[in-house]
Amino acid sequence: MHTDLAPAPGSTTIEIALKIWRYDAVTGDKELKRYEVEAPDWVTLLDVLDIIKDKHDGTLAYRKSCRMMICGSCGMRMDGAAVLACKTRMYDIAKSGHVPVIAPMGNLPVRKDLVVDMEPFWNKIRRMKPWLDPGYEEPPEKEWRVSQEKMNVIHKEALCIMCGCCVSECNSMESDPEFFGPAALAKGMRFVGDARDQANVSRLEDYNDEHGIWDCTRCYFCNERCPKGVDPRDAIAKLGAESIKEGIEHDMGAKHANWFVTSARTTGWLRETELVPKTQGIVEAIRQTKFALNLAKHGKVPSPVPPHVAERVNESRLLYSLVKEQGRDGALGIVQGEHALGRIEFTEQAGLKANDPEVQPVVEPPPAEG
Amino acid sequence: MKRVAYYKGCLASLSAKELDSSTQALAPKVGLELVELETVTCCGAGDIHEAEPDYYLHLNARILAYAEAAGCDELLTVCNVCTLNLRQANWQLKNDDGLRERVSNNLERVGVPPYSGNVEVRHLLWEIAEGEGYELLKQSAHKGLKGLKIAPFYGCQILRPSKLLGFEDPDRPWSLERIIEACGGTAIDYPAKIKCCGFPIIQAREETALGELIQPIEQAKEAGADAIVTPCPLCHLSLDAWQSKLKESTGKDFAMPILHLSQLVGVAAGLEEAELKFKRHVVPVTPVLEKLEV
Amino acid sequence: MVEAKHDVLIVGAGCAGMRAAIEAHDAGADVALLSKIHPVRSHSGAAEGGINAALGNASDDSPEEHAYDTVKGSDYLGDQDAIEILCNEAPGDVYQLEHWGAVFSRTDDGRIAQRPFGAAGAPRTAYAADITGHVLVHVLYEQVMKREIPTYEEFFAWKLVMNDDRCQGVIAWDLLDGGLKSIGAKTVILATGGAGRLYVGTTNAYACTGDGMALALSVGVALKDMEMMQFHPTTLSPTGVLITEGTRGEGAYLLNSEGERFLKRYAPNAMELASRDVISRAEQTEIDEGRGINGNVMLDLRHLGAEKILERLHGTRELSMTFAGVDPIYEPIPVRPGSHYHMGGVDTDVWGLTSVEGLYAAGECACVSVHGANRLGGNALMETITYGKRVGRHAADWALANTTIEVPQSVEADAERELKELLDRNEGERPWSIRDELASSMHENFGVFRREEQMRKQGEIVEGLRERYQRVIVDDKGDVFNTDLTQALELGFLLELAACMVPCGLERKESRGAHARPYDYPDRDDEQYLRHTLVTMRDGTPQVEWKPVTMTKWQPQERTY
Repeated sequence: MHTDLAPAPGSTTIEIALKIWRYDAVTGDKELKRYEVEAPDWVTLLDVLDIIKDKHDGTLAYRKSCRMMICGSCGMRMDGAAVLACKTRMYDIAKSGHVPVIAPMGNLPVRKDLVVDMEPFWNKIRRMKPWLDPGYEEPPEKEWRVSQEKMNVIHKEALCIMCGCCVSECNSMESDPEFFGPAALAKGMRFVGDARDQANVSRLEDYNDEHGIWDCTRCYFCNERCPKGVDPRDAIAKLGAESIKEGIEHDMGAKHANWFVTSARTTGWLRETELVPKTQGIVEAIRQTKFALNLAKHGKVPSPVPPHVAERVNESRLLYSLVKEQGRDGALGIVQGEHALGRIEFTEQAGLKANDPEVQPVVEPPPAEG
Repeated sequence: MKRVAYYKGCLASLSAKELDSSTQALAPKVGLELVELETVTCCGAGDIHEAEPDYYLHLNARILAYAEAAGCDELLTVCNVCTLNLRQANWQLKNDDGLRERVSNNLERVGVPPYSGNVEVRHLLWEIAEGEGYELLKQSAHKGLKGLKIAPFYGCQILRPSKLLGFEDPDRPWSLERIIEACGGTAIDYPAKIKCCGFPIIQAREETALGELIQPIEQAKEAGADAIVTPCPLCHLSLDAWQSKLKESTGKDFAMPILHLSQLVGVAAGLEEAELKFKRHVVPVTPVLEKLEV
Repeated sequence: MVEAKHDVLIVGAGCAGMRAAIEAHDAGADVALLSKIHPVRSHSGAAEGGINAALGNASDDSPEEHAYDTVKGSDYLGDQDAIEILCNEAPGDVYQLEHWGAVFSRTDDGRIAQRPFGAAGAPRTAYAADITGHVLVHVLYEQVMKREIPTYEEFFAWKLVMNDDRCQGVIAWDLLDGGLKSIGAKTVILATGGAGRLYVGTTNAYACTGDGMALALSVGVALKDMEMMQFHPTTLSPTGVLITEGTRGEGAYLLNSEGERFLKRYAPNAMELASRDVISRAEQTEIDEGRGINGNVMLDLRHLGAEKILERLHGTRELSMTFAGVDPIYEPIPVRPGSHYHMGGVDTDVWGLTSVEGLYAAGECACVSVHGANRLGGNALMETITYGKRVGRHAADWALANTTIEVPQSVEADAERELKELLDRNEGERPWSIRDELASSMHENFGVFRREEQMRKQGEIVEGLRERYQRVIVDDKGDVFNTDLTQALELGFLLELAACMVPCGLERKESRGAHARPYDYPDRDDEQYLRHTLVTMRDGTPQVEWKPVTMTKWQPQERTY
């Protein structure tokens, strides 16, 4: 979870300046406007926008609702990085004198000021068939029995509030606007990983689209921007893992990934030169000959023979057999460290406070009577 | 001298030999004694993490175990992807006792020493951007870069996800700029310096990747950079080896030389071509060398 | 000009609205949702602690016990037939949600986990960590997407269309493109939630401005028990952000400035799991008597341990760190009562039907009444589902059995004229000053504790504000995303509701549930006031009448915890 400890609310007033990109899609007018306000020290970016709209300029357009980081309405860019306005406390920024630039989220068309057209976002979500497909005619009388451990596979994906911050920064989507994107794919994983959903295979086949799973460039901007700790990139990796587990391996991205595995369990080191034909196929590899020869001139195409074999490579081979035996396949392999990640954040913030994640109470609570 | 385990990774071993040779030559000058790990494998990149996640975890645990067995408490990397992979595996192992136990048992079963979680993984970039390494860097960069304009290209996985990397603010990084300045160069600022080069999908989705790749190169060129420096050999590969593809698709010949971090510092520290191996670059580095009168 | 016509039109797309839509669709009706925000932005998503049903997964339980706890919790003002229906249908309705994929937390043997909650005799609050509302909103929206139910997204419902003594549609302002649009319908279901924005320090979203209640009022429908506003005991200062009752369900303590678990003096048996009104009053008393810290009491989670907090209360921790600057693993959270849930609302029967044909209400904006004078935590979500379902079904059945829809041109013309008058005005008062005065005066004069003189004063203040509202101005005269306009219209709704609430508070000369008059009428008076208030607006003046409480099994007892 990307949450820092903010300053406690006090009772002083601070001065805050912002620059906001004003834009009218109808007239095409665009202007970077500066605003200066006085506000209580506990305000968030959203509170500042409210003050501006109430008292300075009623025409400022932005979305808001819950103001407590759960509805997902107020995604916008501050200094080029997408944030939830209601989560962004302004105290430190105001004190530093920095004047942030507020702009609408990226990768979506802008309607007015900070309001983007979310229709393309929702279209991609719908594309994933985002509803449970339990594959039965008659449901059981009571609930499906599923262990908490199994449900934990999708714990993070279920946190998604559909704010769009991940989509705003997605480098793949910027280059390929049809890329499904982190929010949609994370939503897809929410179902692929749900033990009650029986449509895994058809979902995965669908998500292995040209603009699907393997179009992700792994820039990790989505993980970085997500205000809820969903880690969409990891969800996409889980989808890749599940695809390969189900034998859906026709995509070049899957072939590319599989060759790394083959390399590691045969020679230990990546068999670079063979990577091209293994990923793209012989025909494509031949078409790339001129390019490859140019690379070869500069030693970028190491000879596949003799193979570059790691020392004690047998250990790597045995490890492969061992893990396959133990069967933590697919998304479960990526989840196993998840519980740890929660503790990691806590211990980092704790600093010197706790060696043991189970913190002892600092003060003995008074006993209850009656 | 700081004794660190040295994990060079796949590219530095083969197609990016220039990275390894320049790193090894530079290391003593910045106070690093490199203990080369012989019995290691590929870290798996993002690929094994995606295709066989449990295997990825074990491969990285094995690398960490051997670093620990070599008596080192630090593992030095020279590649962003290796850094993220190893750090991610390390965090999972350090903080989940049950996980570490299972993995260590498996390692022992195949003859690998167990891993007890006492290794820290750091990129060369972090070693020389501050502290003792930085001081030694300043001293050793005596030849300097003569004000050469260098555009830093960080590469995604040395910055994000910051909860696993955490060396610097992922949106306002400073390490490369600091090093460039310390070497007597001028750091160029441009928006795409923290964006993605597209390497992970350059084969599977070439068009998408090239749409990303063009941004740092074009922007650096427009900002007047003489060269780009990057701490990641995969970024180097796309920026350098795939630059010609941009010429095909856009008609523009950027002719932008791409330097590895160790080469940039190395040339400022007076390393020779035998160590720097600029001839291995696809985009000629000669314009830079001419400016530096090397 | 009528945009479209539907069998069932649902205003508000939170849990109640969406559940009604799904049911109406499955019953074969042409149903559409209309919401001023995207459905998943609805405030149902901010609910945290859980949803109550006698599943019996954590202990022995029965719908009858659930009903008894609810009746007692309502301070005997709840209609017992409606309560029995809720508690009987709840388990099946929760299983339905799970079958649709709701991501509930689980017991060790894989069943839906249930935690203890306020004023409940058994642990029956099914939960999803502390983001239950979020999980339910998303599972319902998934089912809406599956059925491709058309949704008028970001349409602000402003007027109900009355024709031939029937409600036949809605006139709404289109936020994305601008302009008033009429949508005809055989039945209209109001599912617009509560009106917490009447107060400073509220758990409610900006969107919670009681739109549906005001719309019902405007066509002559009575509002019931309007004086009953629940103050949630654990909200953050100064904003009112909600800290879930689930913290207390997991074992958290409430402490005053002396480090004392003060509830032992107010609710010695249930302690932190007493009923919300009891705890809010206890806190307010402690604060008023000088045992608060900066106007707050302390919610202490430290003894729960980091593991439990990270697993089951991670949302709470996030909120606490962002808005209170406190990590609950190390420090107690400063909390105080904040307006949270409106027990009162549109008077309906057990099928959600109002006194106007074709007009229904469900969820928080309705008052069946399931919650009476005080609501149990976990029952609101349950009401949205069970009654959302019932109302959707009834509205669909009626619509399918009736044929005509007509939106008279005169109704449209009137709306256009009224809107033009507002937009053309260039001199007057900006809405924020009226809004802020309303909220702070309600907090002061109509809060946790109420007094005769203060309530009278509040009535006058509201009158003054209603008058000033006649001269309110809107800066933005444009078409695209004009929330300046819709926020001004929302203020109009709030003022109408405030004007209704205060007289009801004055008329009820007793203390019952959330209506606490410790200085003038400290006791509950079943002889005179075991009845609901009913308020209607006639020519702009609120008229208060009474309606008996339906009792089936339980006679009023002394209410202690």
